[in-house]
Amino acid sequence: MSLHCSSAVLALSLALLAAPPPALAQRASDGDWTMPSKDYSASRFSGLAQITPATVKSLHPVWTFSTGTLGGHEGQPLVVNNTMYVVTPYPNVLYAFDLAKDGYPLKWKYRPPVDPNSLGIACCDAVNRGAVYADGKIVYNLLDGHTVAIDAATGKELWKTKIADLAQGETTPMAPFIVKNRVLVGASGGEFGILGWVKGLDLATGKIAWTATNIGPDSLVLAKAGTFKTFYDKGAQLGQTTWPADTWKHGGAPVWGWMSYDPELDLVYYGVGNPGPYNADQRMGDNKWTASVLARHPEDGSLVWAYQFTPHDSWDFDAAAEMVLVDLTVKGKQRKALVHFDKNGFAYTMDRATGEVLLAEPYVHVNWASKIDLATGRPVLNDAKATGASKGNVKDICPTLEGGKSPASPVAYSPVTKLFYASTNSMCMDYAAVQTAHLAGTPFMGINSPYHASDPNMGAFIAWDASTGKRAWEIKEKFPVWSGSLATRGNVVFYGTLDGWFKAANATTGAVLWRFKVGSGVVGDPITFTGADGKQYVAIYAGIGGDWLLLSGDYKSDDPADVRDPADFARDLARHTSQGGIVWIFAL
Amino acid sequence: MRLFSSHARATLVLIAAVGIAGACREQSAVPPASTDTKASENALVISRHDDRVFAGGLMPPAERVVNTEAHNPKAAEEGAALFTSMNCDGCHGGGAVGAVGPNLTDGRWRYGGADADIFRSIAEGRPKGMPSFGGALQPAMIWRLVAYIKSLPPPKDAPTEAW
Repeated sequence: MSLHCSSAVLALSLALLAAPPPALAQRASDGDWTMPSKDYSASRFSGLAQITPATVKSLHPVWTFSTGTLGGHEGQPLVVNNTMYVVTPYPNVLYAFDLAKDGYPLKWKYRPPVDPNSLGIACCDAVNRGAVYADGKIVYNLLDGHTVAIDAATGKELWKTKIADLAQGETTPMAPFIVKNRVLVGASGGEFGILGWVKGLDLATGKIAWTATNIGPDSLVLAKAGTFKTFYDKGAQLGQTTWPADTWKHGGAPVWGWMSYDPELDLVYYGVGNPGPYNADQRMGDNKWTASVLARHPEDGSLVWAYQFTPHDSWDFDAAAEMVLVDLTVKGKQRKALVHFDKNGFAYTMDRATGEVLLAEPYVHVNWASKIDLATGRPVLNDAKATGASKGNVKDICPTLEGGKSPASPVAYSPVTKLFYASTNSMCMDYAAVQTAHLAGTPFMGINSPYHASDPNMGAFIAWDASTGKRAWEIKEKFPVWSGSLATRGNVVFYGTLDGWFKAANATTGAVLWRFKVGSGVVGDPITFTGADGKQYVAIYAGIGGDWLLLSGDYKSDDPADVRDPADFARDLARHTSQGGIVWIFAL
Repeated sequence: MRLFSSHARATLVLIAAVGIAGACREQSAVPPASTDTKASENALVISRHDDRVFAGGLMPPAERVVNTEAHNPKAAEEGAALFTSMNCDGCHGGGAVGAVGPNLTDGRWRYGGADADIFRSIAEGRPKGMPSFGGALQPAMIWRLVAYIKSLPPPKDAPTEAW
């Protein structure tokens, strides 16, 4: 760490004196990283350009911090006004580091009480997907169903609101999303038979302004006549009539990914997770709006349109992944598009005003459906891959329920290359569903679904042209790739691997230009920011976990009473990584 | 403390309201957990336990912690069915090899591996999310689960890979 306080002040003063207004504007927008996905469109693109294919070779670590926690380090830090904010996995401690001082010392930390029962109710490790900054507040979710707002300057708790109920199987690892005066939050629990929802809180007070369910009758879904219109589906009460009897009441539909917002249309977009239980025989019908994208007005939560990627999802194909908002030329026409890489293996380019699917192409090997019929918006199914207790053990379904891309691994979009950058997985699964009963607060699944590799390289980092639905390039990886992506104006893209490499690649060609071993597998999302010295920095969490807590077997380090065999499909993963959270900052 | 005791009260209401599977009938002779707030505020351990009990149910008194299924040759088989139907496999994995909840087949135990220890883990719950099934299952059913879990043979050696 060569940054000294005096030189930092000097550099900042010089920058303020010398920089023309556009540079200041850029600093405001690109110097900081104030929300998880960088901007409303969820691009994870930064205009910073000091790090280029020519300079990236000299990238080196300048600072690290052990979070002292072993849960999966999904999500990303924030940088606001020369302060870095880090939320740990359970117990969800919030740290504020002073980036203007030598060694980036701690300004304060906020250590909330979090119910440890949430550890056993969260389906897939004690993850937290990050905080969001607005109006002088850092807002984030505690795993046990609370949203908190913390004074960004002092660390003082401003409000705390109970939003979810552990006893119903609800936990809250997602990052809140803030539009104007609304804080939007959702709950996980697709494995616990929750009745999934999104809530809009008042940013100033934390008071819950509205609650909209993702399934159930129009009155709960907030689908109002005259406001709600879908491109493909006709009729009212679709969130209720597409379920047998009242099975929607325990039908899942969690929300745990990253949201986006179009200010012109005044629409917030988010993906809805899987229906419950996993045994599809217990919920015949489309099960709307699980495995769907919903578009709502943030002020009152009213539903404007919805589209279901996987009707009657029988494979746990959550659509929880981000909806990236970009303007693209598709089939010769300029479109206000929404791009989504679904767990089901198809990448969708849609019209974000109407919900029309413009194109949908497989971005990994897919065999449960042959294509998406653009006239109906529905997948053309391969009947041999349909599952349910009556179907027995259905073999070799591709991709797995982890997704062709995990929703926990958000993509980035570069307006320079006009390409998307995505972490992908090449695995297939067997799927044996059994009858299961709903007991509140316990899993509601009924499934055994072992995985196997569909390619000797189980993962890849790919560049994708959403105008044509084609891959531009790929970097093959030994293990599935589970990190988020970062794209920059310097034409360098960043991602991390499960075996603990943090990598930089040429955004145009896919050539790997630089890599560094960060100490644990990467399931977090890289960010970039401008330091107090005017230099470009890159930050990433190391700390394997999330679904890999469940999948990889022999890597747990904290519990001598829980020793597991390595997973069959990745027997040597624990040779390359173990648990443990580290925040890394790199600079040229 | 106030938080815990209010949760405990809520839990008692839940138990009264739910009364799952007729399990309460056998335990109706058991005095309910103390509603004396002074007692629960003085005994952190007890109120913590109550706080964890979100599936409802009361621990049988100590003299009842006797394996009534010790001589049932089908206990393990019936316990295996319960392990699935009560959604135990949702957390501990099929065959109890571990998922979000710990592996129960490795011969290693956070809270003790004696029959009575495992019985208590199931009946009372444990602090990191293990629910209490004491209100949902009769003691005999819990003993069958214990029999199933104990029937899963631990490996001779802890798994270790050499490279």
